[in-house]
Amino acid sequence: MITENIDIKKEFDNLPDGWIVLLETSAEKSLEISLVALHHLITEKNYIGIVLSASRPYKNLVQLYQHKGIDTNRILFLDCISKSQSLEIEQTGNVLYLDSVSDLTNISLALKGSMEKIQGDKFVYIDSITTMLIHNTPEMFARFIHGILTKMRIQGISGLLISLEDETDKEIRAEVAQLCDRIVKLA
Amino acid sequence: MDLELSNIPFIEILRQYNNRAVIMIERSTEGYFEHNMETIRLLLENDFEGIYISFQRPFINVYTMFEQKNIDTSKLLFIDAAAALSGEIQVDDDRCIHISEDIEIDELVRAIYTSIPRFQSKKNFIFIDSLTTIALYKPLSETMRFSEFLVGLVRKEEKNQISLIFNVAKDLSQKKFIQDVAFRVDEVVSI
Repeated sequence: MITENIDIKKEFDNLPDGWIVLLETSAEKSLEISLVALHHLITEKNYIGIVLSASRPYKNLVQLYQHKGIDTNRILFLDCISKSQSLEIEQTGNVLYLDSVSDLTNISLALKGSMEKIQGDKFVYIDSITTMLIHNTPEMFARFIHGILTKMRIQGISGLLISLEDETDKEIRAEVAQLCDRIVKLA
Repeated sequence: MDLELSNIPFIEILRQYNNRAVIMIERSTEGYFEHNMETIRLLLENDFEGIYISFQRPFINVYTMFEQKNIDTSKLLFIDAAAALSGEIQVDDDRCIHISEDIEIDELVRAIYTSIPRFQSKKNFIFIDSLTTIALYKPLSETMRFSEFLVGLVRKEEKNQISLIFNVAKDLSQKKFIQDVAFRVDEVVSI
C-alpha cells in the first residue's frame, strides 16, 4: 500500500510541460516519499519512467516498486550500483547496468540514449543528487546535471531529482535548484 | 537593497543611471526562472529591447515559457548559451543568435556587440540569466573577463542606452568571483 498521508498530487499540480522538480526530503523519509512520487507519476499520470539509481541496485528497486504496486514494465532502470558492487546481474529488457556512479560520461550517454529511444510522455528520475555527489566532484556533477537538464528541456522531457535535505552541499544544491521549475520539500 | 522586485522602482533605478545601469539581482533559487521572466516583462513593458543570454535553459524552453506567459518576444534577442555549453543543436530562429560549442568568451562578446544595432529602441538591456552557470564550464578568469567586457560596454556605449543585468542565486552570491563582480556594479538588488 502506498502511504496515504503524503499528498504528492498537489506538489505536481500546475507545472509547465517538461517540468523539472527538485524533491528535497530527509534520509529517513526518502524511500517512502520516492515511492509515493513514482506511484503518482507512473500509475496515476501514466508517465514512463527512466530511473537513474545511484542508491539501490535494480533487483532491490524492482522488489520495492512491485510491492508498492508500481508497474515496473513502464520503467527503464539505469543501475549504477550492481556492477561496481559486484552484485548479481539479472539481464532483462528494462535495465542497463552502468559501471559506476562516478562514470558521468557513460551515465550521460545512457540517459540521452534512453530519452531518445523511449516514446511517449516520460520523465527522468535521479536518485539521488546527494549520493551522486559522494562519488563525484561538485563541479563535474553540476556540469553533468546542467547538460542532462538542457537535453531534457530541448526534448520536453520531465524530471524529478531527489536530494536529501541538509546533506547536499549548499552551493551545488543552489546550482541545481535554480535550474528547476519547482522545489518541493517533504521532510 | 532587499526588496520584492515588484515593489521597488526597478525601472526608476535604471533611469537614475540614465538607463546605463549595471545591476546585480540576487534571487532566491525558489522560482528563479519565474522571477527572471517577470523582470523581462517589466523591462519590455517599459519600452526596453534587449538580449537575453541564457546559460541555464535552452532557447526553445525559454521561448516557449515566455510565449505561455504572454511576454512579447519580438523585442528580444536570445543567445542560447545553454545549448551551446551542453553541445546540443541550437534552434534555427531569427531571434536566436548561434554560438559555437566551444563558447569562447570573445565569440560571445562579438555576438552581443553585433546584436546591439538590431534594436529599434534606444533603451536596451543585456540580461544574463545566471553568472554562476557559465563558471561551471569556463575558468573564473574567463567569466570575469566576460563580465568586465559587458560592464565596459555599458559604460562606454554612446549611441544606445544599455543597462546590464546580472542574475545570481542568493546562496551563491558569497562566492569570491561574484563578490568581485558585485564590486563593479552600480546596485545590488536582493529579492
